[in-house]
Amino acid sequence: MSIYSTAVKRPITTLVIFIAVIVMGVFSLRNMPVDLYPEIDPPFISVFTIYPGASAADIETNVTRPLEDNLSIVTNLKNMTSQSRDDISAITMEFEYETNLDEATNEIRDVIGRILRFLPEGIEQPTVFKFSSAMIPVMMLSATADESYPALAKILDERLINPLNRIEGVGAVGIFGGPEREIQINVDPRKLEAYNMSVEQLGGILAAENINLPSGNVKFGSVDYPLRFTGEFTESSRINDIVITSFNGNPVYVRDVAEVNDTLREMTIEERINGRQGLRLIVQKQSGANTVQIANEVNKMLEEIIKTLPPDIVIGVVFDTSEFINNSISNLINILYYAGIFVTLVVLFFIGRWRATFIIILTIPVSLVTAFIYLYFTGNTLNLISLSSLTIAMGMVVDDAIVVLENITRHIEKGSSARESAIYGTNEVGLAVVASTLTVVAVFLPMTLISGLMGLFFRQLGWIVTITITVSTIAALSLTPMLSSQLLKFSSAKRTGLGPKTSAIIDNALSGLDRFYSNILGWGVGNKWKVVFISVSIFFASLFLTGYIGTGFFPEADNSRISINIELPTGLRLEETSKTARAIEKIIENDYPEIEAINTSSGYSSTAGIFGNPRAGSHTIDLTFRLVAPKQRSRDVWEIADALREELSVFPEIVTYTVQTEGGGFGAGAPVQVEIYGDDFNTTNAFAEELALKMRAIEGTRDVDLSRGPEKPELRIVPDQEKMAMFGLNTNTVSRAIRNRIEGMTATRFREDGDEYDVVIRHKEEFRNTFSDIENIQVLNPMGQMVRLKEFASIEEFYSPPNIERKNRMRYLTVNSQLHGRSLGNVTTDIQAAIEEMEIPPGITYRFAGEIQEQQDAFADLVLLLLLSIFLVYVVMASQFESFSMPFIIMLAVPFSFTGVLLALFISGGELNVISFIGAIILVGIVVKNSIVLVDYTNLLVGRGKSIVTAVRMAGKSRLRPVLMTTLTTLLAMIPLAVSTAEGSEIWQPMGVAVIGGLSFSTLITLVFVPVVYTLNGARKIKKARKRNRKALLLQAQ
Amino acid sequence: MKAVFIVYNQALTERVSEMLDKLNARGFSQWQDVKGRGTHKGEPHMGTHTWPAMNSAVLSVVDESLAQKILDGVSKLNETAEMQGIRAFTWHIEQTV
Repeated sequence: MSIYSTAVKRPITTLVIFIAVIVMGVFSLRNMPVDLYPEIDPPFISVFTIYPGASAADIETNVTRPLEDNLSIVTNLKNMTSQSRDDISAITMEFEYETNLDEATNEIRDVIGRILRFLPEGIEQPTVFKFSSAMIPVMMLSATADESYPALAKILDERLINPLNRIEGVGAVGIFGGPEREIQINVDPRKLEAYNMSVEQLGGILAAENINLPSGNVKFGSVDYPLRFTGEFTESSRINDIVITSFNGNPVYVRDVAEVNDTLREMTIEERINGRQGLRLIVQKQSGANTVQIANEVNKMLEEIIKTLPPDIVIGVVFDTSEFINNSISNLINILYYAGIFVTLVVLFFIGRWRATFIIILTIPVSLVTAFIYLYFTGNTLNLISLSSLTIAMGMVVDDAIVVLENITRHIEKGSSARESAIYGTNEVGLAVVASTLTVVAVFLPMTLISGLMGLFFRQLGWIVTITITVSTIAALSLTPMLSSQLLKFSSAKRTGLGPKTSAIIDNALSGLDRFYSNILGWGVGNKWKVVFISVSIFFASLFLTGYIGTGFFPEADNSRISINIELPTGLRLEETSKTARAIEKIIENDYPEIEAINTSSGYSSTAGIFGNPRAGSHTIDLTFRLVAPKQRSRDVWEIADALREELSVFPEIVTYTVQTEGGGFGAGAPVQVEIYGDDFNTTNAFAEELALKMRAIEGTRDVDLSRGPEKPELRIVPDQEKMAMFGLNTNTVSRAIRNRIEGMTATRFREDGDEYDVVIRHKEEFRNTFSDIENIQVLNPMGQMVRLKEFASIEEFYSPPNIERKNRMRYLTVNSQLHGRSLGNVTTDIQAAIEEMEIPPGITYRFAGEIQEQQDAFADLVLLLLLSIFLVYVVMASQFESFSMPFIIMLAVPFSFTGVLLALFISGGELNVISFIGAIILVGIVVKNSIVLVDYTNLLVGRGKSIVTAVRMAGKSRLRPVLMTTLTTLLAMIPLAVSTAEGSEIWQPMGVAVIGGLSFSTLITLVFVPVVYTLNGARKIKKARKRNRKALLLQAQ
Repeated sequence: MKAVFIVYNQALTERVSEMLDKLNARGFSQWQDVKGRGTHKGEPHMGTHTWPAMNSAVLSVVDESLAQKILDGVSKLNETAEMQGIRAFTWHIEQTV
């Protein structure tokens, strides 16, 4: 019993099985989270080591290098970069994708454990830090306030951050730029000196006064009382009245030597949201949590929380990554619907009958829902890749059903009962259907084998198409015959009505087309070599187009976000930096109506620590913009970014700036990166500067910048060790003393309403403003004497060397550039040419990194994939036709599909990137299918005794419709993908363009070229046979 | 007694069985997946890629009157589904056990 006869004989079983599949699919779909891309965990692990007091160069030699040397043996390590800056060594290890990072972390810990004792004594235990996708912010919120501003951070912490943190999946809610309460004790050093006291002593006294202590229990009669001593400050003003010493028998109070201010901490960062003062909140997700779900929950909760906040606090959304995801996914779902409608129309057009169309179209939902089941049970998400895979599959899943139904109809028309026509009609084409499915699977299954980033991406595509196509074949062999046996009936009576009349008109037109094609074939067969010559020249001519088509890595999408980093002259104080920030804000407010929200941070976050941007300082400005939706503006995000660049370039005080649009979210950092390796700072700097200059001149580069920052001016206190020893001082006490006076000493904490605030003692601002203020700092020595700093140390002005970056254990720096209006490939070629013109000093090597490297890796993978697909398709066909030459003839369609892809890209101005490349690979499976239909039927006719030329013409005439039909279903399913301009369309568009171009062109060519080559091959065989015959006859005659 | 041998495109199996049932021809032997082709016209039924269709065959030994009815039925069937192909042959039965 075969599957189709079982299905026909047990229609109810068949029906309920497929209903069950659909129900499962719908269930999976309802429960499936939505995301932009398949989940990709960035394979990065960092090791941070803090060595207080060491300079960048010391860190490099003593910490970074030994660590690097030992860490380089960790398995699966791809790249290792490091940064040595003052106090901190940060090593980042990049692994191959899909490395087990837990194992890698353990290995790293082992290595660190082994070499820890060879590292300097003073280092802190190295921290191993696993970077995860969870670190990428899901949302950035802003909060602005007027009168509530001083307490903003505290209010938000209690009423906003705590509830948000309770949402499942929210990892961390970070707060940036909020004011913090601090109790400052600003000492007048002269007065303190007069009482012969030091800051440290003052701090000690305050700490000792601010104490609550349980003092045991006392029993009074029948009651047991716990006893408690309460010395803690109840009010910050009480600090004023604390006695610190006595002078001539009179008590000396804190207020006599210092000013106590209950105020806000001095800020290193200034946050403005749309020009108003406020702070930024960043919501991060837990690893593996779903962005869209979290954002939804956060938004829901925000609505309620906002009602409870003081009315002057305004909460805004700077960006919400889920918005772009939701929009582009819903756009893609719309595209899927359109594709479905187009496919239905094509089938109806060619078949001309409602019932038959219904039976064929039914295979679409049945097979597509299995993709949802697969996605759900493998824990995947509904994302751009899975949805575009469905669009690709959409046009192909109907093919098998069409072939089966056609044959069943043929049997019915010959006079068999519907039941038997269904069984035997399916039986006759069953093998052919399975074979054609195998060729498609041969293309898509290898996609599940690619490794690396591309693998993470296209594995889903491979599986989804393989599964849906397989299921569609199963449905075509069971559901289609079953439904045909139930629904189709033979009607010899002439059909009347509007439907049949239009279908008759269409039928006439198509018959005309059949005849026309048959005539063309007749001409082609008569002019074989001409056809071959023209086709081959078209193919080779198209190869010249490659020179005009740019290459890129991943299409960038307009997600309505721009961020700008600006550097002013190093060392500029925050107040000055903010002035420039205000000026920029003003320009944007006036001239850029497209920009909906502006978030400006001037300065640097003191809490960002080792994760912060190493180049951030009081002279840097970070701006984040949210634009209105793409439909509501005439300029796209890149045009706006470029206009902003022009605005920035007129500010004389701006040293460098980078304007970034955050497209698909791939390849962190600048798209163009040239790495320059070399030990010597000066030569590498000079070379990099020269290269940067040349790169700026190249068309399409923007914001060319060096990764190595400029040197920073710095004041250094250089102690004279001998003198210091004479005074009984050591480095530790002296450096601490200086720090306590300038940076401040946190003496104790003031407690109020369950919160603690730092009590910080330091010199009043007017006593730490000049060279001599610092020189006159007094340090208490063990003998109880006050010694001035200038007596044992001098202050010198220095330029501190930059941070030392290393990659794979070599010093390097990168020259980075953004792109605008030109493809990555072309710009890279130009840079390459520019470098070749330059004289490369000895000891310097260079390498391209960034997206160009990602692209090269990806293209290498894809070329391999392409070759593998072609090979597998050949294997499937060779076994199907039991011939070596037949598959070759059939696969002649493939090169022309590439011609089509090139043409389409050239015409549409698109670039060859990973997505369009995948489109080209998919084409191998699709175009071969057309060719098979044609050649298979020609073979059949030859087998039935027709001459080759007649067979070719007849096959062409009778197979034109199925070929056009399957081509058009695939083609039209892709059209919405290619022409959509909706949000996020930039990402999937190249695939649509590539497939449409390739498929339509190769179909046109193969309809003529393949039959012609078939006749040539046939003629060759006949000639061979004749030769053999002649020889035999000659032998006989002799 | 006559033997009636009917070869037909297997897509007609149900119709042939139906006909035999209607005529009360109870006894028969059937072969499935029989290959063959006609002398004059029609597609060969070979079960190959070139000629994918297959035949079935029925041998029924019946009274002479019934044999004629069966032949009539077959020719009627042939008229409605000429393209599918059905043929019937009869001969005498000399002895039965």
